[in-house]
Amino acid sequence: MRAPAASPPIQLDRTAAKRRAAWRRRGIVLAFMSPWLVGFTVFFAYPLVMSAYLSFTHYDLLSSPKWIGLANYRFLFTKDQTVWPAVKNTLWFIAIAVPLQVLFALGIAVMLSRARKGVGAFRTVFYLPALAPPVAATLGFVYLLNPATGPVNTILEKAGIQGPLWFDSPQWSKPSLTLLALWGVGNTMIIFLAAVLDVPQHLYESAQLDGAGFIARVRFVMLPTISPVILFAVVLGVIEGMQYFTQAYVAANVAGGSASYSAEAANALGYPEDSTLFYPVLLYQQGFRYFNMGYASAMAMLLLAVSFAVTFIIVQNSRRFVHYQGPGR
Amino acid sequence: MRRALTLTLLLALTLGVSACGGSKKSSPSTSTGETKVEPANITMWTPFVDPELQTLKAVVKDFEATHAGIHVKVIGGTNDDKIVAAIRGGNAPDVAQSFSSDNTGAFCPSGAWIDLGSYMKKDGVDASIFPTAPRDYTTFEGTRCALPMLADTYGLYYNKDLLAKAGYKSPPKTISQLTAMAKKLTVRDANGKLKVVGFNPFPSWYENVPAHYGPSWGAQWMNGDKSSLNTPPWQDQLKWQKSLVDWYGYDNLVRFNAGAGDEFSASNAFETGKVAMHMDGEWRVNFIKKEAPKLNYGTAAFPVADNKQDLYGAGYVTGSIIGIPKTSKHKNQAWLLVKYLGTNTPALAKLSNGIQNVPTTSASLKSPALTPLPGFQTFLNVFGNANTTTTPITRIGAANQETFQSFISKYISGSKTDLEGGLANVDKQIDNQLEQANAGQAP
Amino acid sequence: MSTEAAPARAAAAPATFVRRRPPVAVRRKRFLVGVATHSLLIVGAIVFLLPFVFILLTSLMTSQQALSPRLWPQPFAWHNYIDVFSKAPLWRYALNTLLYGGLATLGLLVSSIPVAYALSRLRWRGRDAVFLITLVALMLPPQVTIVPVYVLWAKLHLVGSLWPLIVPNWLGDAFSIFLLRQFFLTIPEEYLDAARVDGCGEFRILTTVVLRLAKPAIAAVALFSFLFCFNDFFGPLLYTGESSQHWTLSLGLSQFRSLYQVQWNLVMAATLIVMAPVIVLFFLAQRAFVEGVTLTGVKG
Repeated sequence: MRAPAASPPIQLDRTAAKRRAAWRRRGIVLAFMSPWLVGFTVFFAYPLVMSAYLSFTHYDLLSSPKWIGLANYRFLFTKDQTVWPAVKNTLWFIAIAVPLQVLFALGIAVMLSRARKGVGAFRTVFYLPALAPPVAATLGFVYLLNPATGPVNTILEKAGIQGPLWFDSPQWSKPSLTLLALWGVGNTMIIFLAAVLDVPQHLYESAQLDGAGFIARVRFVMLPTISPVILFAVVLGVIEGMQYFTQAYVAANVAGGSASYSAEAANALGYPEDSTLFYPVLLYQQGFRYFNMGYASAMAMLLLAVSFAVTFIIVQNSRRFVHYQGPGR
Repeated sequence: MRRALTLTLLLALTLGVSACGGSKKSSPSTSTGETKVEPANITMWTPFVDPELQTLKAVVKDFEATHAGIHVKVIGGTNDDKIVAAIRGGNAPDVAQSFSSDNTGAFCPSGAWIDLGSYMKKDGVDASIFPTAPRDYTTFEGTRCALPMLADTYGLYYNKDLLAKAGYKSPPKTISQLTAMAKKLTVRDANGKLKVVGFNPFPSWYENVPAHYGPSWGAQWMNGDKSSLNTPPWQDQLKWQKSLVDWYGYDNLVRFNAGAGDEFSASNAFETGKVAMHMDGEWRVNFIKKEAPKLNYGTAAFPVADNKQDLYGAGYVTGSIIGIPKTSKHKNQAWLLVKYLGTNTPALAKLSNGIQNVPTTSASLKSPALTPLPGFQTFLNVFGNANTTTTPITRIGAANQETFQSFISKYISGSKTDLEGGLANVDKQIDNQLEQANAGQAP
Repeated sequence: MSTEAAPARAAAAPATFVRRRPPVAVRRKRFLVGVATHSLLIVGAIVFLLPFVFILLTSLMTSQQALSPRLWPQPFAWHNYIDVFSKAPLWRYALNTLLYGGLATLGLLVSSIPVAYALSRLRWRGRDAVFLITLVALMLPPQVTIVPVYVLWAKLHLVGSLWPLIVPNWLGDAFSIFLLRQFFLTIPEEYLDAARVDGCGEFRILTTVVLRLAKPAIAAVALFSFLFCFNDFFGPLLYTGESSQHWTLSLGLSQFRSLYQVQWNLVMAATLIVMAPVIVLFFLAQRAFVEGVTLTGVKG
């Protein structure tokens, strides 16, 4: 119960105390958030603005940036003949490799959820490749898929099939990278497994009572229930696809790298025939091999716009497919 | 100022040589024509790896012996990317060596490697001691920012045993002879896979880059300041390359290459007899001596186009260049090392003998200290030939070669079939790149 | 479901709710499905394990054999594993990797935990907007900001060292903040209120109550962070590419092939050596791994 209003000294004290408490709270929040504040400003906000600025300049790090207006963008959209293959490669990866990865992970998860014995062991085996460092995994695969001496083609030959040229063929290089990506779906698989196991049993049972077969149960019970997780996996996959660099870089260098005396390692980027030249790889080449930093910044701005657009489109469209669980779970 | 004075006086006292006091700038030359500098530790980056790195280190030791106080740390296994990145990152070495002269056009105008003109004048080094090609590929638009140090020329290596088995006594001199011999020397196994390849024309394999083949057709990269790849010499060269690749079968060659050894390993395809005739540089002589001493091989100038037979004996030359990155804190000491490695005749002869590269001053070419291995003389001759050319130095460095190679691989594989249209497109791309590189420059 | 019908059904349930064995046809079908599932899983497991097997086999071949189509080494070149260490300074690379991973993870925990706490348990204006911004930052490809950041480090003369990779982790990491915040949200307010009543400042609450409760999440975050640093290739390539004494294992492995002439048997041995620590770590911390991965998916 509050004291009667007629006691001014106590009220004043309380206001001042309240103000002090409010400031102290703000101070605490500031203190707790300070790392993020500094980090965000220095490594996110500032570079974003600088990138935009540099995209209008010619800058090679040896002299100061020179303003050239829209010249970089003009070159990007009309004259550079390596940009559009790079865009197409990245889009190919997002449109083909990412869905395949999600489906494959989901498939394994569903099978694992129905297995009775040895689930733990199977789970370990399927997860293990995801642990392999990307460079190591890529090197392994390039060797395995060596068209002349690799085990895969050797075994295929014994079966009477002449294996494709894998990483040395422009048609097969991206599928080879996709195989490498499929080998490493362990992380996604674990997430799906948890989600699939989380689907309430009674939902399956009621569907069964209503006469639903296995396929129908999957379609109308399981998929909708785990749809938020599927969305999460797809978004994550798309984000990774937009940044896809390491495996493409290492594979191109190793497969294409019969280095000549004066050739540098990055010469082979995109081997063979620009088929593995993904957008981030091209950006790296422009910015950190040729040091066209202004032009690389223009490429970065385009990447930013496309990333936002793609993520936005996916999230918008997801509302049609994704069912979020209500509170009565 | 005062401390430098004291230091210099101390130095003068200890060395017993009088020196003019002053700041860190070099003092007037003594009678040997050498500028006296303070002692310093400097670093040198080189792309050489063992065993060639050892030769370089030995020569650098000779330099240290004659230049008291300067200690040089030599780091091998670097490449152009690293040097460029280091300069931009602000921690480049004092002396840098690049295996290719292509980047002169990037280093010089931007000042990444400093202008050596004033140092040369002070020490009485004149550019005429270098033969024409090395002199040209170390300057750009009048600025000299590098000295040549050892050059590479290219020619034909051939396996005498394999040739004899097929009934050949001498190497081919024209492209049609090369083609005929290559076909006869090729051996396939029961499944049709290539076992021995007479001559491997596959683009970008080992040393198969257009720059090395161009001189045999008299092909030019630039006409003035425009790219000139859509010209008959280049068209003929590419048509020849494609027809030979098609004869082998594109996929067959890919498989062969995938199973061939690495160019710089002991499983090198030529050294292990998998390839009968081979385009390679003069350093291969040294590698063969160390890795495959029993190989019975010969060297000759590379065959020339049937309609350009007067060009026979010429070839392609490029070379290492050394310079001083602008971030160096010991430019005077660095200059002494650069001068030593680039102009000192005994040093060049020792380097040439150890690494079997071509020495790059006219004096060292005639030096009696040179002991070329058998087979090496061919390359010295190519170096001296008046028609031997190099790739023009441009502001975009090696980007034009890479753009060209990108098209070539697509043309040879059959992805692109319009040769003239494609070459015209490459010319346009290179012109665009040049235009873009020049965009940031003051008019 | 109405509450009236339930008791009636419950009353009727015991009489009819007897588990009978399903008819033979159904049992057979279930058995076949089970066999099919298990067979598929076994085939899948073999396919997933084969690459490891081949890498291992190749690593035990001689250099000539690795270049040939042979599948089984003869003889077994065990000394490859020793040769690898003399061909490339793997110990130095490992040390660099440890330095990078250890310092980065430490900094990440120290800086991200307070931020996640502030974003989840403290109430202040703009809190949700800031959280949204961190989410957006998560979605951005690093290539977008890489050029100016590189220029920044170049001007500070730190390119060529591992500092450009370590320092940003001391200023918070969006993914870790996100994960930790999601986890902190699940801590019942009662614990925190009890501590506040006892007179604890927010910092005390964080260190005594929250840290103890969030151990699994923190362990998962630390594990992921270390793994990320271990596997990181682009970062070391960009910042230490030209100073080989600072290379990490990932970078060193990729260059193993071009610096030292291709000997596939040694490259495969090196590949296994680089894979080994992670796999060992996994078997030691299996639960933390799986829990952590699940955390990202379920809470995400």
